[in-house]
Parts: sequence; C-alpha cells; structure tokens
Amino acid sequence: MRAKLEEILSRVTIETLEKLAFMFAFPDDGEENPPTDFKVTAIVSFTGPFSGTLVITISTEVLQELAANMLGLDDGEEITEDQRFDALKETMNVICGNLLPAIAGDKVVFDIGVPEVLPAGQQVKKGAGIPDEHELSAKVSLDLDEGQCSFLLFLAGQIPDDVGSP
Amino acid sequence: MAINILIVDDSGVMRSMILKTLRMTQVPLGDVHQAENGQKGLDLLDQQWVDLAIVDINMPVMNGEEMIDRMKENPEMKDIPVIVISTEGSKTRIERLEHKGAVFISKPFSAETVRNTINDILGLGGNDESQT
Repeated sequence: MRAKLEEILSRVTIETLEKLAFMFAFPDDGEENPPTDFKVTAIVSFTGPFSGTLVITISTEVLQELAANMLGLDDGEEITEDQRFDALKETMNVICGNLLPAIAGDKVVFDIGVPEVLPAGQQVKKGAGIPDEHELSAKVSLDLDEGQCSFLLFLAGQIPDDVGSP
Repeated sequence: MAINILIVDDSGVMRSMILKTLRMTQVPLGDVHQAENGQKGLDLLDQQWVDLAIVDINMPVMNGEEMIDRMKENPEMKDIPVIVISTEGSKTRIERLEHKGAVFISKPFSAETVRNTINDILGLGGNDESQT
C-alpha cells in the first residue's frame, strides 16, 4: 500500500510541476545533495471518504524558480514573498486536487482545505499541525535543478484496497 | 470582435497565469477584469459587461459554484458563458457544474485547451492545431 501511494504521489507531483511551472523533477536518487539551509513548509488538509494532510518542504531556491515560472518572469525580476507563498499554496492545491482522484478514483468527492504556509522553523508532526489520528502513509523526495522538495502524506480512515485503480 | 473577460480566482499567481495563457491563445482580448472571490466577481459583473467569466471553485467568502448559481438567478448575468478552471477531480462535482451550464477545465491546463474551450464556447472557430 505504502509503495503504491508513494508511486502515485511521485507521479502526480512530477506531472504537476512540469505542467504548472515547467520544472522537471526526478525521484531522489539517494546521492548527497548540496545543503539547502533555508526551507519553506506548507500543508493542505482534506476530508472525504478518507481524510488527511499533505505536507511539502521546499528549498527557497526551488520556490523562487517555481514562482518565477508560474508568473512567467524573466531572470532577475523581483518576486515578493506573498507571490512566492501564493505560488506554493496554488501548487499544493493542484497537487492535492490531482492526487486524491488518482488514489481513490474520480467518483468520490473530497473537500480540500485552504493551503497554509507555516511560519519558519515550525515543525510538522503528529500533534503539531497533523491530527493525532493521521498516519504517515507516503514520503517522497524529488530532485530538481535548483534543489529539492519533499512531500509527506498523512492519511486517516478507510483507504481503498485497490489504490490507484481506475 | 474583442472579448471582455472576468477572471475569478483567490490566487493572484493563478490569475496571472490565466491572463498570460489568454494572451498566448490569440483570442482577441478586450478588457480583462479580475476578482479574488465569487462575491467580488458578482460585484464586478454588476458594473461591467463581460463576454465570458473564468471562475475557480474553491475560494473564500463565496465559492465559484455559488457565484454561478447567483449568475443564473440574475437575468442580466444568466447568459454569460462560464468556464470553470479548478483542481476539482470528482466527476460527480464536475457533472453538477456542467448541469449548471459551465464548461470545465482542470488545473494544470494548457494554452491550447483554454483557447479551444473559449473558441467553442463563444463560437469563434479557429481550433486549428497549427495555431499553437
């Protein structure tokens, strides 16, 4: 189950980043990457036949590129923090919106909450941003030219046995 | 004929993306108005004539589905074509929106999809692959 969820999360995320922001991501190859000291974390929750929370942690370099590409800006053009966070929240919204039907099929209805960027330094774990009943069900790290981003998917409730079936 | 368009989305980045996409479509653009939720969209429609509304669903204050319902109740707005651009993945909800007369485009979208949908909904023709 976990491997299937991680395959779906990885595929949906890679496709979304490519179509939404023309960014090409690859599953983390396990090699050591240059350290990125500054990271931004955002979360989005959803309810439906099962509920959960999707968490992204993204390096500032990747976030800068994400926002610039979504806005169609040239190199060097200034981007405000609001624009970067708006781009990240919209990306989370699109990933979550495409992830849920990929997991549960397109007949069921989910309500996706408003994505939220967490204050710098705030940890995300069960009991701190993640409800106690949500279990870590998938973890995906992606490499991009500009750095890394990682995703955690916490789920609670009845997950379909035939995850990912049409 | 220039097409006046209203874009309603709570994300400023997404409104910019839609506007950028519209400029790539070769659809003749007139005035493009923007609003950040359904209520502000309706307020704008009270003041401005538009040929097409492009509406997100999940928005604070008033969501896109309620905005469409209000438009359909208003004789001045009920015939304005609506395109919903959303992350909605449930066929049940998409079919409900389509029954209200909206045409659905899922995010992320391509310029070609937006162009073809606008051409179809406004009867402009010109859905030629060579135009991309």
